[in-house]
Amino acid sequence: MDETPVVTSFDDAVLQAQVHALATLIQETDAYQAFLRAYKAASEDAQVQHLAAQIREHNRALQWAEGDYLAHQQALEALQAEMNALPLMQTYRQAEADLVRLFAAVDREISAALGVPFARNARRSGCACGR
Amino acid sequence: MTLSPEIIAAARALGESLRQHPLVQAYHHAVACFEADHEAVDLERRLYALYTDLIRRQEEGETLSRAEVQFFNDLKQRVYQHPSIQAREAALSALKPHLASIANELTLRLGVDYKAVVLAAGDE
Repeated sequence: MDETPVVTSFDDAVLQAQVHALATLIQETDAYQAFLRAYKAASEDAQVQHLAAQIREHNRALQWAEGDYLAHQQALEALQAEMNALPLMQTYRQAEADLVRLFAAVDREISAALGVPFARNARRSGCACGR
Repeated sequence: MTLSPEIIAAARALGESLRQHPLVQAYHHAVACFEADHEAVDLERRLYALYTDLIRRQEEGETLSRAEVQFFNDLKQRVYQHPSIQAREAALSALKPHLASIANELTLRLGVDYKAVVLAAGDE
């Protein structure tokens, strides 16, 4: 194995073209487009932004051990529930779940042809622990 | 999720091109060598069987004896030090950064973290 060069850069023109072609096809799917729309709608919504800011603030307080831990936890759960109940967020979660299914299906095809689970082994570190 | 024939073809073409890479070839060669090495296969099979058994018994509330844990650790050492298994793991380790560079390129093109989204499927 010592004589095998370790490739850490991506410079193969054929592979680049194939990645580009696959990404373009994925971007044209209904699932991908629906996800983009849902993401944009959620991230631009004032109520979502307000709730997200409050969630961040409680998370920050918990991280720095400020105030009452239990009160922060309860507030976080309430805010998260409020956020999840928004129709906009329900649409987003559904679109996200569809995107996950799309990408997982694509990955199964790549992995089958490659003979190795692709995403699971796409690691910068060469650690063998994640086999 | 049903994929379009075009996406299936594009994904398979990418996977097949990746398979031609020397690092992937080296990994498949190492796997073939491992599979032909009956001692290594048996050693690894015994380790996983023992691991599964010990975990099950622990979850059932049993306290494992020190001798059993020591036996497991010794077997694990033998597995990790077996030449065929070491060669396979080294080949897989060498391959991972290459796959990561391809996954990163997909992420850049898609504007969505490809690997994170795929792995999220396992959390569902």
